[in-house]
Amino acid sequence: MDTIWNAILLIADPYVIIVICLSSIFGLFVGAMPGLTATMATALLVPITFFMPTVPALAAIVTASAMAIFAGDIPGALLRIPGTPASAAYADEAYAMTKKGQAELALGAGVVFSAIGGIFGTVVLVLAAPALAEFALRFSSFEYFWLVCLGLTCAVFIAQSSPVKGMITLFLGLFVASIGLENPAGTPRFTFGSIDLMGGIEMIPAMVGMFAIAEVLRALTTARDALPPPPSVRGSIFKGQWRLTKKYPVQILRGSSIGTLIGALPGAGADIASWITYATSKRFSKEPEKFGTGHVEGIVESGAANNAAVSGAWIPALVFGIPGDSITAIVIGVLYLKNLIPGPLIFEKQADTVTALFVIFFLANIIMVPFGWLAIKTAKQMLSVPRTILMPVVMMFCIVGAFAITNSPFAISVMLVFGLVGFLMEENGYPVAPVILGIVLGPMLEQNFVTSMIKSDGSFLAFFARPIAGVLGVVTLLVWAAMLWRGFRAWRMGSPAGAATL
Amino acid sequence: MKVSDALSGAIFLALAIFIFVYSTGLPPMPGQRYGAGAFPIVIALGLGGFSLLQIVQTLRRRAPGTPWVELPEWARDRGVLFNFVLALALILVYVFLSERIGFIPLSIAILLLLFLRQGVSPKASVMVAVATTLAIQVAFADLLRVPLPRGILTDLLW
Repeated sequence: MDTIWNAILLIADPYVIIVICLSSIFGLFVGAMPGLTATMATALLVPITFFMPTVPALAAIVTASAMAIFAGDIPGALLRIPGTPASAAYADEAYAMTKKGQAELALGAGVVFSAIGGIFGTVVLVLAAPALAEFALRFSSFEYFWLVCLGLTCAVFIAQSSPVKGMITLFLGLFVASIGLENPAGTPRFTFGSIDLMGGIEMIPAMVGMFAIAEVLRALTTARDALPPPPSVRGSIFKGQWRLTKKYPVQILRGSSIGTLIGALPGAGADIASWITYATSKRFSKEPEKFGTGHVEGIVESGAANNAAVSGAWIPALVFGIPGDSITAIVIGVLYLKNLIPGPLIFEKQADTVTALFVIFFLANIIMVPFGWLAIKTAKQMLSVPRTILMPVVMMFCIVGAFAITNSPFAISVMLVFGLVGFLMEENGYPVAPVILGIVLGPMLEQNFVTSMIKSDGSFLAFFARPIAGVLGVVTLLVWAAMLWRGFRAWRMGSPAGAATL
Repeated sequence: MKVSDALSGAIFLALAIFIFVYSTGLPPMPGQRYGAGAFPIVIALGLGGFSLLQIVQTLRRRAPGTPWVELPEWARDRGVLFNFVLALALILVYVFLSERIGFIPLSIAILLLLFLRQGVSPKASVMVAVATTLAIQVAFADLLRVPLPRGILTDLLW
C-alpha cells in the first residue's frame, strides 16, 4: 500500500502532470499525422526525456505512445489514410463508416475501445510482470541465453515479410551491437582505430535514424501534394458506445487478450496485433459479410487490440530486458540511461518507480478519452499542417536530438547512416524491427553466452542441465527445427511460396 | 532504389565474409577458449548462411531478363530525387560545418532550402525556418543546456 501511495506522490507533482499533458498532445499529433508513427514519437521524445528525472521521462513515453496508437485511427476514418501502421488494418472499414455518415461512431469506437484495450493490457502488465519476475529470479545465464534466443527467433517468426530477410537483418543488428569495446573480453572490435567507434554504436541515434530519418526520406519521395481536407466531425462521438460495449463484450475481451499477448511477444507490436484481431473478428463474427462495408465490429476488436499491445510489450521489457515491440526497444535504451536496469530485480529495488509507471499507464489510458475527443474535434486543423513543412522540421529536430545524447557530431553521422540504411532496407522488403532487437539484445546474448561457456568449461550440454534452461533450450531448438523443416519442404516442392514460408 | 534480392544478398554475404575474416584475427582471451572473436564469428556464419540462402532462392526463381537494379518510380522525377539527395547532403553539411558556422545560421539555411525546394512559399519558409530554429535553440540550448554549437554567433549569443 505504501508503495502505491509513494507512486501517487511521485506523479502528483505538477511537473509530471504538465509532462503528461504535453506528451499527450504530442503523441496525438504525431499519431494522427500520416507518415509519423508511434515509434517515431517515442524516438523523438528520447532526447528530451534524457534531461528529465526517471518518472516524468517514463510518463512522457507511455502517454505519447498510447495516444499515438489511438490517434492513428483519426486520419484512417476521415481520409482512409492510417496515421500509424497500427491503424492500417481497419482504415478502410472506418472510412466506409464515414462515407455512410457514421464518422462519429467510428472515431468514438476508436477512442473508447482503445482506452479499454489499453487498460486491459495494463491490468495484465501489473499482474503478470511481478509474478513473472518472481519466477525469473531463479534464472542464471543459461536461462537468459535461451530466452534471448527465443525472443530473437520470435521476432523473425512473426515478422510479416520473408523470414530469410528477417534473419539477415537480425544478424545485422547483432553485428552492430558487437562494434566497440563493450564486450566480455574488452577488446576493441570493428573500430578501425576510430575513437568514436570504440564506444560502440549509440542506440538512440541509431533508432532516431531508423524510425525518424528513414520516414523523413520516405516522405520526400512520396507525393508532394497536401492531404485532402478531412470532413469535420460535428456530432457526439460518445453516443452509441455503451450500446457497442454491451453488444460486443466477447470481441472486446478477445481483442484485448490477443493484443496483450502479441504485444508481449518480442518483435511484434500494435500493428501486427490489429491485423490479427481484425481477422479473428471477421472469422468469428455472426455477420462476416458486413465486414468491409462500414461495420464497426472489427474496429471495436482491433482498436482495443493495438492499444492493449502497447501495454503488453512492457511485460518482457521490464522483467527480462527483452523488448516486446520497437517502442519498448527504445524504452530499454532509456531505462539503461536512467540507470534503471530491466530485470526481475527492478520490482524490488525500484518498486516505487515501477508502481508509478503502472499508475501512469492507467492514467494515460483514462485521459485518452477527453484528450482523444479534443483531437477528433480539432482533426481538421491538425491534418491541415502541410507535410512539406513538417518533415524538414522533424529532420532538424532529429539532428539536434541525436547530438544532445552525447554532445558529439558523430551521433548525427550514426543517425544519418541508419536513416539511409533503414530507408533502403524498407524499400527492398527487409524488416527493420529485427535490427533494433539485435542491437538491444546483442550485448545480453553475448554476455550470457560467454558467461555460460566459461561456467560450463566449454560444454554445450550444460545449456540443458538446469530444468528451466533445458525446457527453454528444447523449445528454442524445436522452433528452429520447425522453421528449417518448413523451409526444406517448400524447397523440395519447389513452390515459389517457399521463400516466404521458411 | 530497388535492388534484386540476389544482389542485396551478395552484399550481405560480402559483409559476413569480412566479419569472419576480421574476427578470426582477434586475440583470444587469456586462459579461455572463447575470446572477443567468438561471438562475431557466430554472427558471420549466421549472416553468411542466410544471405547465401537468399541468393540461391532468388536465382532459382528469377525470370530471365529481370533487372538487377531498378530505379523506383519516385527517382525518375529529377526534382524528387534531387530533394532526397539534398536532405542527406544537408545532414552531412551539418555534421562537418556546425562547429564552425553554428547551429542557428545553419539550421535556418537547411530548413529554408528544404522548404523552398518543396514548393513552400518564400514568406512561410522564412517564418517557419526562423521560428523553428529559435524554438529549438531555446528548448535545447537554454532549457536543457545542450551545448549547441554557437559558431559565428559566439560573441552575439546570450
